[in-house]
Amino acid sequence: MLPLEMRLTWLMCAPLLAQDPVFETKVRPVLAEKCQGCHGGKTPMGGIDLTSAAGTSKLDPARVIAAIRHEGRVKMPPNGRLPAGEITAVSEWFQSGAKWPAAAGTGKIERADAGWWSFQPLQVVRPAADPTGWAVNEADQFLLGRMRAAGLKPAPPADRATLLRRVTFDLTGLPPTEAEIEAFLNDSSPSAFDTVVTRLLASPRYGEHWGRHWLDVARYADSTGADEDHRYPHAWRYRDYVISAFNRDLPYDRFVIEQVAGDMQPPKSGEAVNVDGIVATGFLALGPKLIAEQDKKKMFYDIVDEQIEVTGKAFLGLTIACARCHDHKFDPISTKDYYSLASMFASSKQLSKLEGTVSQLYFAPLVGKEIADAWQKAKDAADAKQKEIDAVAASEQTRYREKHAPRFAEYMVAARAVYEGGQTAEQAAQGTGLDPWVVEQWSRYLKPTGERRVYLERWEQALAAERPAVAREYYQQYLDTVRSRREAREKWETLAAEAKARGEQPPEMPKFLAGDDRFYTEVTAAGGPFKMPEKDRESLYREESRTKLVTLRAEWETLKKAIPAEPPLACAVTEGDRIDQRVFIRGNPEAQGDPVEKRLPTVLAGVDQAPVAQGSGRRELAEWLAGPRSPLTARVMVNRIWQWHFGEGLVRTPNNFGKLGDKPSHPELLDWLADRFIASGWSVKEMHRLLLRTAAYRMSSIPSAEAREKDPDNRLVSHFQRRRLAVEEMRDGLLAIDGTLDPRMGGTLQSGMGTDKEFAEDRKSIDPDTQPRRLVYLPLRRSNLPSLLNLFDFGDATTSTESRTQTNVAPQALYMMNGGFVAGRARAIAVRLLGDKTLDDEARIRKAHLAVLATPAREEFVRAATAYVERFPGTADRTAAWTSLCRALISSNEFLYVD
Amino acid sequence: MLTRRYVLQRAACGFGMFSLRAMAAGPLAPKQPHFTPRAKRVIFLFMHGGPSHMDTFDPKPLLDRDHGKPLPFKRPLTFAEGSTGGLLKSPWKFRQHGQSGLPVSELFPNVARHVDDMCILRSMVGDSVAHGGAVLQLHTGSNTFTRPGMGAWFVYGLGTENQNLPAYITVKPGLSHGGAKNWSSAFLPAAYQGTSVAHGGILAKDLKEPVEFLSNKELSPEQQRYELDMIQKMNRWAADRRANDPELEARIEQFELAFRMQTQAPEAFDISRETDATRRIYGMDDPFTYDFGWQCLMARRLAERGVRFIQINHEYGPGNEVGWDAHSELIRLHTRTAKMVDKPISGLLTDLKARGLLQDTLVVWSGEFGRTPIAQAGDGRDHNPYGYSAWMAGGGVKGGTAYGATDDYGYYSVVDRMHIHDLHATMLHLMGLDHERLTWFHGGRNHRLTDVAGVVAKKALA
Repeated sequence: MLPLEMRLTWLMCAPLLAQDPVFETKVRPVLAEKCQGCHGGKTPMGGIDLTSAAGTSKLDPARVIAAIRHEGRVKMPPNGRLPAGEITAVSEWFQSGAKWPAAAGTGKIERADAGWWSFQPLQVVRPAADPTGWAVNEADQFLLGRMRAAGLKPAPPADRATLLRRVTFDLTGLPPTEAEIEAFLNDSSPSAFDTVVTRLLASPRYGEHWGRHWLDVARYADSTGADEDHRYPHAWRYRDYVISAFNRDLPYDRFVIEQVAGDMQPPKSGEAVNVDGIVATGFLALGPKLIAEQDKKKMFYDIVDEQIEVTGKAFLGLTIACARCHDHKFDPISTKDYYSLASMFASSKQLSKLEGTVSQLYFAPLVGKEIADAWQKAKDAADAKQKEIDAVAASEQTRYREKHAPRFAEYMVAARAVYEGGQTAEQAAQGTGLDPWVVEQWSRYLKPTGERRVYLERWEQALAAERPAVAREYYQQYLDTVRSRREAREKWETLAAEAKARGEQPPEMPKFLAGDDRFYTEVTAAGGPFKMPEKDRESLYREESRTKLVTLRAEWETLKKAIPAEPPLACAVTEGDRIDQRVFIRGNPEAQGDPVEKRLPTVLAGVDQAPVAQGSGRRELAEWLAGPRSPLTARVMVNRIWQWHFGEGLVRTPNNFGKLGDKPSHPELLDWLADRFIASGWSVKEMHRLLLRTAAYRMSSIPSAEAREKDPDNRLVSHFQRRRLAVEEMRDGLLAIDGTLDPRMGGTLQSGMGTDKEFAEDRKSIDPDTQPRRLVYLPLRRSNLPSLLNLFDFGDATTSTESRTQTNVAPQALYMMNGGFVAGRARAIAVRLLGDKTLDDEARIRKAHLAVLATPAREEFVRAATAYVERFPGTADRTAAWTSLCRALISSNEFLYVD
Repeated sequence: MLTRRYVLQRAACGFGMFSLRAMAAGPLAPKQPHFTPRAKRVIFLFMHGGPSHMDTFDPKPLLDRDHGKPLPFKRPLTFAEGSTGGLLKSPWKFRQHGQSGLPVSELFPNVARHVDDMCILRSMVGDSVAHGGAVLQLHTGSNTFTRPGMGAWFVYGLGTENQNLPAYITVKPGLSHGGAKNWSSAFLPAAYQGTSVAHGGILAKDLKEPVEFLSNKELSPEQQRYELDMIQKMNRWAADRRANDPELEARIEQFELAFRMQTQAPEAFDISRETDATRRIYGMDDPFTYDFGWQCLMARRLAERGVRFIQINHEYGPGNEVGWDAHSELIRLHTRTAKMVDKPISGLLTDLKARGLLQDTLVVWSGEFGRTPIAQAGDGRDHNPYGYSAWMAGGGVKGGTAYGATDDYGYYSVVDRMHIHDLHATMLHLMGLDHERLTWFHGGRNHRLTDVAGVVAKKALA
């Protein structure tokens, strides 16, 4: 980054706003939002261009004003008058000569913006010493300083069982086991808690839980969502990469680089390509996409925009995407900055095919190019051979139809005797020489279906005596179509040959549409009335066709066998065609403004940047994000880690460190943590240890009366923040408690691509109530998340989620009371307890409490539960009573909340 | 036992204040509208696939005259770019109906009898030529981003009149083209999200349980009450230890509400109490109209019970083929699809009126777009978001009128263009809400159902 002074010198150029505040705030927005949609672009409506001085200077102000006042014949905008204030502003501007500011589309930023706290370099200061002896480390000292200044004291430590449940859910998303609880409660050594933290951080369950946190930020899902909701069949590799990255404590700077430009990192030894790096770019590739959008240019830049948005929020905590249409209203990001970033993503490949009704997703092979190409080539060869086989069958089908077509009319009449007269096909064909099979097919086709088939109405209405003649009319129509299409084709062939001889472009091949002659289309369809019999079909083929098929099938077998194993693929991005980007005025790709270079936002990286000369620029972006000059990357991540431990961030809008975001409650602490994070080599696990070691983490979650009075939102962190279990913790936790959680890691639970041919059930996600794997491994189809996830605030997996909301609604209670999953878990725990004959009922009650709530039962509960199972109404079935008791434990607030 | 009386007793001793407040001011409690509403609830009839306006509510004589000729002006972007042809006249005849004499085609002989209660919106406009974006925009206002379904906005703005039922219900919605995104609460609190009754792939006759988790198959009501009392006892202990934390208090209340809901909601979905005569007017005596008839009857039952926003859906799926999406075979597909919905919708309007509900119920009928006046694949029509028809009936709607117009062939909306945003603004207006004031701050700015657009169609209002 440039020294602050230098940036400010440049930034102090008079900003536009100061030049003409009335125009910028009152007139330009109205023109942009209400007028330029029609009166702009390449062909402005009525030739009236309201995007430039050249356009507006040609207009008669009086007529414009009459139009916007809706006084004359022309009323603008046509769909309703502007608010009075807007009419006044635009009228006055036209009356005073419609003057445009000197330069439009700017990139200039006010001084105050550049001084915003989050854009400043880290400012590391030492905290004041703690005179009370409470603080364990500097983080505590920072917190205590603020508390003392506000007249608050830290809450007392939580009890040990509460602390163990807290840290175990926190690091692994699962409750502690009974054995773990006993071990911790009986370990009186001063390092008991550190032992627990070390154990939990080494557990593979840790990566599954913290990986899931990151997947929220990365808006991870397994389908495109939006319109077609095609699957991302290889998305799971990215998910597994994230889980693994947390488990092996991949330095966060590497994690950032790999997700933005991992495909451009050198391969590890022994690999042809950088497998992890390619998979990691799933971060960019797995966003929601409207792949059936027909405005392909818009779609392309929607994808780019989505990538800018997720990159900005995840790594920088900035909402850059606002600058797509206008200079950012609140943060100093200009449209030029935006399109500079856009040019990087636009120069990367995300789709294998953009054109077509539904665009095709790009999948990156995770093997060397030769291997991937060889596989593709072999597969294409086998597919081509299959097409040849199909062509033989199709030609035989045509031959069969042509063979029977001369008796077309007779077949129609005979068929009617079947579907209307009640004869069998054999009877109808008897003595006529007609083929009973064909009679049967015609009968099937002509029989009224209850649907309206206009082209068969004449046939259906024909009186018995007219039918042979009417059938001949249908035959004649068929022949006419056959002939006219043949003639059209032959004519085209001649013309095409002549054109070719002249070296010209051949004319377009004649196109026949199914609905041009629906009757002909149906009669000639493969499943139509001339369909060949399925049984022994090939015995009807010509000898030469049969011989040819034997050969073709043998060749196909050989080709098929020769296809190497499908190489592993990833949903990823790779380098694409380098695009010279221009600013799109108001985000419209048709309205091109000034060209932009590939460079970073100036407020962050300064004005004096050398533009990226080669490639998309993603590598340079990634390296800058993870480099020492980005003031935001470390701050944003330590704030996330803080939030995931303490319930709320020091900045409570972790995706927004801009002007509309929250300001840090403890700026010095945030910078100190960021500094430590970088100094530790960006080790996430080190940051966990640092934060979990604090006295603050071990506080009780019950606020003191003073804290409730003076700091109801707990911004000063004077007590621990109680939180509700996330849906994964609740659901996986219950499976862990009843012992049925499947600990297998990774891989995919879905197959196939998912297409627009799917309806209803096929589109549903796997019901988590029926799967024992951890929830993080269940595929997420964006358009149809399982109802459990919707019910318990999972979010929507379409935009970066900084934190889960916690709603409290009756359907959640219904899930607990009536859901089959909860009942199943409760029953399993009950059956296990009742099956243990070494226990008496009191011991069972204590065990149930310990298992579900991870804390020893109070005596009041033991007494109440004893009475509960004894007096359970309406049945003597002990399993029913105990199942009910266990469900009550699961439904209780003590289970659903972490203290 | 923690009954309501118990809560009140405790309230008298100074406990439970939070829970009472939570009950009165929960997210679903009835709220004051911005101004006097004309309607209290919405029934939205969604015609997935896009019904053709030139063949239903927007007659085009010039299309008959110029049948087969090329479109005389520039064709906009279509969905299936490769297979479009010349102008295609409507195979159906139009006839004037009612006092107003509004023309409706023979595809809707029963709905046509209600034209004097309907305002036909002939100038609808959307922004997407493909289903996905168009369906999303109709439901959420946005064709790209995840935004709250329109019902969520109504419930956010107005609360609900019956907290024992979900406030926003969509009956048999489709799972394609946006799926659950179309009735999600997105950034609004989850309390406002739509509750789906089954989905478009299930036939009503095969439906076992309309709403998930609403009944317990193992416990008697007495046993369940017994269990609930234990839960509440434990919750009370925990809350006392935490000095009556409001969030924990609220969850105690939610269990009580859930208990009431599960005793009352099944009745709402139980149509066995309806008479044969009632079922007949909805077409439920005919297997062909049974399914949509069942949905329409469900809509009336939910409307009667104070549900704020009810959507019913004619979907792609079993028995329905591609619904209204007649890219080819317009005659066959529109004949069958119109027949499936015509009598049930007419029955709904008749029944609502007979029960005095139509005057304060806003009924809206719309597809995600209309269809092109030019042929596709010879005998079909392509998607057309540039001009198409929808209609409104009921509370505050100016019956017997046609609002706006398309061009001579029905391609573009040209008079009183009514964008989807304008439809949303008008619907909110009829329900007493100002679309510009119904906002939610999210992601750095205020959001509205109508984004930065929307004009109330005053001429469509009574």
